[in-house]
Amino acid sequence: MRTSARGRRTSSAVVLYVIILVAFQVFLITVAVEAFQTDTESLAWATAAVSVALFAAAAAFLRYLRP
Amino acid sequence: MTSETEPVPVDPPWKRDFPLQAVSEEEVTRREFARYLVLGAGTMAVANVGLAAWTQLRSINAGEPRAITDLAAVNVGDTYLFHYPGDDDPAILVRLTDTDVVAFSQKCTHLGCVVYYKTEEERWHCPCHEGNFDARTGAVVSGPPTRPLGRIDLEVRDDGVIWALGRRT
Repeated sequence: MRTSARGRRTSSAVVLYVIILVAFQVFLITVAVEAFQTDTESLAWATAAVSVALFAAAAAFLRYLRP
Repeated sequence: MTSETEPVPVDPPWKRDFPLQAVSEEEVTRREFARYLVLGAGTMAVANVGLAAWTQLRSINAGEPRAITDLAAVNVGDTYLFHYPGDDDPAILVRLTDTDVVAFSQKCTHLGCVVYYKTEEERWHCPCHEGNFDARTGAVVSGPPTRPLGRIDLEVRDDGVIWALGRRT
């Protein structure tokens, strides 16, 4: 199956977005660990909320990828 | 002279340098790669939620009531180290007056270093980043911490034993 140049660019952009979102997730893990160590419950829950939102965004981006 | 038929596929340079073939060499499609990444992101999101729940559950006064030590065993101005609410949670108690005893988590609220009591200055001190807390309330006096030390609710019972009160619902 031939893929158009635009389609390839879109796929690359989606993969790039997902990579950036995963990098954010790694950062959020470090924030969550710090919140855990310092017993900062509010920060821990805020981090968890952002992390879940990023995961949802990454999953949504999958829809734009060609099989 | 070469014939003008099909173009000969050219291998990349690394394949010429390392002409190895895996037995079951498979290509990962872009979508599969993205799916693995999203799976990883999901795992990290679950870990974040778990960490948040764990942080909530191990609140300083969430443990069971527990006897700490006899009041008579701690002189005025002296400290006593113990663990509360869990066995891995360092805590420290100081006897300020004959009847006044306070206890705090020994973890600095800045980055979790261990605080100790400075008797002559009557304050809790964190040596890592020079954080200082009020001896009686645990409030921040100076330094980088922004939150007070976790205070453990205490009670001196009639038999002279100091108890951590723990969860009270």
